[in-house]
Amino acid sequence: MNQQRLETARLFHRFGFGPKPGEFSAALNAGVGAKKSELISNTSRTGSVLPAPVMLDLGKRPEANSPDVLEFSKALRNQNQILVLWWLDQMVQGDNQLQEKLIWFWHGHWATSIGKVNYALPMFNQLETFRRNALGDFRKFSQEMFADGALQIWLDGGENTVKAPNENLSREMMELFVLGVNRYTETDVKELARAFTGYQMVRSTGKIVLNPRRRDAGAVTVLGKTGVFTPDQVISHLVDQENCAKFIAERVWYRFISSANPLPVSHAAISAFSQRDISKLVAAFISSGDVASSENSMVKSPVEWFVAVCRALELTPSLLPSFSKLNGYLDKLAQIPLSPPNVGGWPVDEAWLSSASAQFRIAFATWLSGQAKLTALIELAPERRVNYLADLLGVVEWSPRTTFALREVRDNPQRLITLAICSPEYVVSV
Amino acid sequence: MNEKPTMSCEQLGMRTVTRRQFLKYSGATAVASSVLSLDDVANAAITRPLAPGTPILVVVTLYGGNDGLNTVIPYKDPAYYSARPDLNYKPETLLPLSDDLALNASMVGVKKLWDEKKVAIVRGVGYPKPDRSHFSSMAIWQSGSPQNHLNTGWLGRWLDTQPIDPLTSISLGSVLPPLLAGKKQSGSALPLGGLIIPGGAMAKAFSRLSAPSQKDSPLLAAAATSMRNLFSVSGNITSVLVKPAPLADDLPTISGGNAGGDSNLSQQLNIVSKLIAAGSPTKVWSVSLGGFDTHANEANAQALLLGTVSESITRFLSQLKPSGRDKDVTVMIYSEFGRRVQANGSDGTDHGTAGPMFLIGDRVQGGFYGDQPSLTKLIDGDLAVTTDFRDVYATVLEKVLQSPAEKTLSNWKGRVNAFKSA
Repeated sequence: MNQQRLETARLFHRFGFGPKPGEFSAALNAGVGAKKSELISNTSRTGSVLPAPVMLDLGKRPEANSPDVLEFSKALRNQNQILVLWWLDQMVQGDNQLQEKLIWFWHGHWATSIGKVNYALPMFNQLETFRRNALGDFRKFSQEMFADGALQIWLDGGENTVKAPNENLSREMMELFVLGVNRYTETDVKELARAFTGYQMVRSTGKIVLNPRRRDAGAVTVLGKTGVFTPDQVISHLVDQENCAKFIAERVWYRFISSANPLPVSHAAISAFSQRDISKLVAAFISSGDVASSENSMVKSPVEWFVAVCRALELTPSLLPSFSKLNGYLDKLAQIPLSPPNVGGWPVDEAWLSSASAQFRIAFATWLSGQAKLTALIELAPERRVNYLADLLGVVEWSPRTTFALREVRDNPQRLITLAICSPEYVVSV
Repeated sequence: MNEKPTMSCEQLGMRTVTRRQFLKYSGATAVASSVLSLDDVANAAITRPLAPGTPILVVVTLYGGNDGLNTVIPYKDPAYYSARPDLNYKPETLLPLSDDLALNASMVGVKKLWDEKKVAIVRGVGYPKPDRSHFSSMAIWQSGSPQNHLNTGWLGRWLDTQPIDPLTSISLGSVLPPLLAGKKQSGSALPLGGLIIPGGAMAKAFSRLSAPSQKDSPLLAAAATSMRNLFSVSGNITSVLVKPAPLADDLPTISGGNAGGDSNLSQQLNIVSKLIAAGSPTKVWSVSLGGFDTHANEANAQALLLGTVSESITRFLSQLKPSGRDKDVTVMIYSEFGRRVQANGSDGTDHGTAGPMFLIGDRVQGGFYGDQPSLTKLIDGDLAVTTDFRDVYATVLEKVLQSPAEKTLSNWKGRVNAFKSA
């Protein structure tokens, strides 16, 4: 296997959503070092953003049997659709791909579903929080996430009062967001819940407000520290824990480098995160040798696969002929943005590789290749097409099996591209 | 004052299931699992049907931590009402099972089965050193191993003792639960919508594309296999299913439910009943329902969920009656933990420990098993575990699957005598 192609492909598909036409060969010419430097400089750059959709506050849900209910439900669905398409377009077109990839990662980390939040506006606001903090200070990020209306609704934050604290947000803050499971005690969960009491949110906007009457003003003891804490203070204390560095490094490793192999205990990324600067953590992974290890294969999740295809084939999700069809395919492949299956986020690797998903991926791929302008491929002599596709898609190399299958259909560009994007070498980030 | 748990709790070592491991575990199984089409199962039902009288196990997983105290309710205990002043059900609405305990009012169907002595309720079920995380707790229940992280499920290990056959155990839905992951073979996943296989020139091209290759890494091989399996499925078998069950969600939006599981239990069980009635050579079925993470406004949400469980299961058993297979089926219902005894301020409950398990069927010896955990002798506000879940698993392995429990539960000794003698 060509090492340079392997590393370059990894850098494109792990730290972004795959190359646009021409980008992969250009990066090969420039060398792996140049691509790494470019990515590392992107950790401090803010990328371009498509004009944000207009997200009106839809207000309270009308009474169950009132005539306004239908209109209201339509507006909810419509906003949801606009938001999903805007985000998918942004993933495809965002020029700082590293930032886009991190936003997607954080969505899986602070996994919040519109299924319970209901309103698109708080979800949009959460995405903005991800964008602001994607490569920033994890302490500030965690504090802003506490103040995030969608997350608060999702984990019953508004129900957490001095009279009887609700532990849902408190537990997941430690288990899933900041420290990792079993790195705290049950008492810590209960005490942290008390420090989180008193906030209420406007469901339709996600705006959160403190209601002092519902707040527990007493001292709490969380992870060995006692005091009367604001949420910002107690979150800062959580983020200070050594386990936070370990956990966030583990999460990034698991989603960017390897879902199968554990993060080495004293990996440089953990110490790079000593100041809780996400950009330094990510840069440490980019510059590490792990990107070059052939053992660290991963499977592209359905959204990652779809966005990569759109980039290579120059498709714009919002311009595809049918949102319901697009949504249906993503649903069948079991990954719709804004709708993670549970607070733990999406699964990985083999979970995406069932015969059912193979069937749906083939149908999806056929539909997508039918939308693409295949001019470049058509103009190319058939015998050059298979190699061209490896560079277009950022594939390390075609196996003899895939080469054979592709050659057989190379005279038919649409079939050829359909097969290529369904090939094991493309579905897997080798 | 804290009391010791009443169970015989050998002090087990620290568990080290990490979130990462569990995610890996839930997705990746020891061996690639098959995904079946309805046609596959239908075909097998015709060519090699399960012999009448063969016991069948249907496992129902309730994701999110079902509140056992509002399922099997100590409706005469003043401690119940004082712990949950605004989250209790009025005694006169409940379905009494005994002088002390009553079923949630929504479980009318299960109550009827109870009256027919077909329901065993095992009380206070849990495991040592309860872990209140949804994810690691579910990993413990599904692997059947509280102390060591195992990459296999307890029924996956049972599968490993069976002849290789993708139809021996089937889970409904496209993602296989860890419970059916074995080393030699894993259970199969049956997507609710069934599969449609491409034909013609593209079929040929795709079978080339998915041919086995010596050079494949494990993930490349898995990607190729998943596609190859799609084309190895025979597509022209007369279906015993006129059509798949209609797509309908059981549940309206509810306030719980961010901890996994499906929302269409009755649809899953509808398909299972058709396939069992048709003679599918399947001994273990797995279905699930999510939404039990009821941290707020629990009473209505849980009644709705339990009503769905009760109705789906009674409908399922009655659908099986004409085929006579209802006599062969045992339904086992569990959740990863119960909830805290004390209600929280939002009329919900936070993560707790022990809860009841249900065993339902003709072969079951109806009644209560295990001690009801005391509401006044709590451990850190939680119920004591009175029965280890492995007691139930071992019993189910022996009495339903007629297999020795030793291989899958490393010589676990406890049993629950909840089945009629043969």
